Amino acid sequence: MKKIGLLLVMLLVLQSCTVVKEYEKVALSDPDMDLNPRKIERFKTNFQAYREAASGANGGKTGGGCGCN
Amino acid sequence: MNSIICIFKKYLFFVFLLLGLINNGYTQEETTEKTEVFKKMVLEKTEVDFLTSYYTQNGDNAAVSGGIGDEKVTDFTPTFIVSLPLNEDDVLTLDAGISAYSSASSSNINPFDGNHPANAFQASSGASSSDLWAGLTASYSHSSDDRNKIWTGKLSVSTEYDYFSFGFGGSYTRLFNEKNTEISINANIYLDSWDLIYPVELRHVDVVRAKDDDVFPFDINDYTITGNTNYDPQFTRFKNKNRDSYSIGASFSQILSKKLQGLLSIDVVRQEGLLSTPYQRVYFSDIADSFIENFHLADDVERLPDTRNKIALGGNLNYYVNEFLTVRTFYRFYTDNWGIDSHTAKIEVPIKIGHGFTIYPSYRYYTQTQADYFAPYEAHLSTEKYYTSDYDLSDFNANQYGIGLNYTDIFTKVHLWKFGLKSVDLEYNRYDRNTSFNSNIISAGFKFIQN
Repeated sequence: MKKIGLLLVMLLVLQSCTVVKEYEKVALSDPDMDLNPRKIERFKTNFQAYREAASGANGGKTGGGCGCN
Repeated sequence: MNSIICIFKKYLFFVFLLLGLINNGYTQEETTEKTEVFKKMVLEKTEVDFLTSYYTQNGDNAAVSGGIGDEKVTDFTPTFIVSLPLNEDDVLTLDAGISAYSSASSSNINPFDGNHPANAFQASSGASSSDLWAGLTASYSHSSDDRNKIWTGKLSVSTEYDYFSFGFGGSYTRLFNEKNTEISINANIYLDSWDLIYPVELRHVDVVRAKDDDVFPFDINDYTITGNTNYDPQFTRFKNKNRDSYSIGASFSQILSKKLQGLLSIDVVRQEGLLSTPYQRVYFSDIADSFIENFHLADDVERLPDTRNKIALGGNLNYYVNEFLTVRTFYRFYTDNWGIDSHTAKIEVPIKIGHGFTIYPSYRYYTQTQADYFAPYEAHLSTEKYYTSDYDLSDFNANQYGIGLNYTDIFTKVHLWKFGLKSVDLEYNRYDRNTSFNSNIISAGFKFIQN
């Protein structure tokens, strides 16, 4: 419950930020600023999902496959 | 190795054949349609990514032999991702890959290959020592005219010798606040099924045949049992072959300044069915040990609950320092009802070194507590309801160090057939647990864009 509360507070804080106009997004448009993982990262994300108990919340798979080798 | 190359060549041929057919259809359709209102396409041209990786791992805690034994795995994975613009708003993406692997621990499902005295640290030459995984995912996305709403549907299948997975799902993304804020929700269902394979010495216990009984003809009476010569495991076969996963997720991303943006995401997953791996042995401390050659015969296979609930909460924060340097950070908290909590933290610092080159040094730290049902080799009691000696469910932490290199050619000067080479990626990662386990992965990616 405490964690969900913290998440809601963070959402509110983030909502209050100044709006950045399209013409001001030069730095944000840099490919390295992309919030999604790069395609080449899929392999290491997969092996981590198989070798570690944790998965999800990182753009990787959340189910499917046994990962049993 | 020759068979892998042969399969890969066939696979390459079919990918390009499919690409040619789809492109041809699209070109014919394009000539008959008149677009009255100009709208920038979501994806201007067909893009093809060829990605591949080579993975190796080593360790001494193989789950197949109950928490001791060789964990060596090698895995080669070529993958194609083809993104096709169907019109101004719609994109079809096909993601097809294979994974050819060899596994020392899986080979010891039947350790008695006759080549040497069997033991958990010696790979067997049986059929389970290598396998091929193949997977295909098709996704279709549609964007609204103002590009503020995106719908995506997805279908996936994958298969290997003893496992089949079918999945489907969808997502909806909404951008607002002048595209400063993005909220996305997604749901996915995976319906998987096992072809049950058990440790070879347990198959005489029950008369129902396992899938690979014909591949591994084995009669325990042909061998001399040492230690406890009255080997009589209380083993029963699993009745449920299915494993279903249901996940829902949401993410919220926000531009915080001209140089800073962040993402929060949550995934909630429910798994049902056979969550145990049927060929992972378990040894009980209150049952006398039996051996054939030097291999400890199983007391049972792992038994895990048939449901599991997982929650993962993640956050990304990326900061653009200057035209040469960016800082990318990630943190995740994970918890499930098997008693595992974990924390993951990662930092990556892309550095542009000029002439289209960027290097990607990274560091990742991972830690988890052990599952309620885990105990090491021969530490479980036969009176327990659930048990496993799979060290992926143990208490450990891990450090991962990575270095990557990207080259991007905005003019796509190098051409292959009808495609120009847009970018090349190379990456190496080293992963070390605080146990005997470590792994290395080398990945490469080539992005082509239609001329």
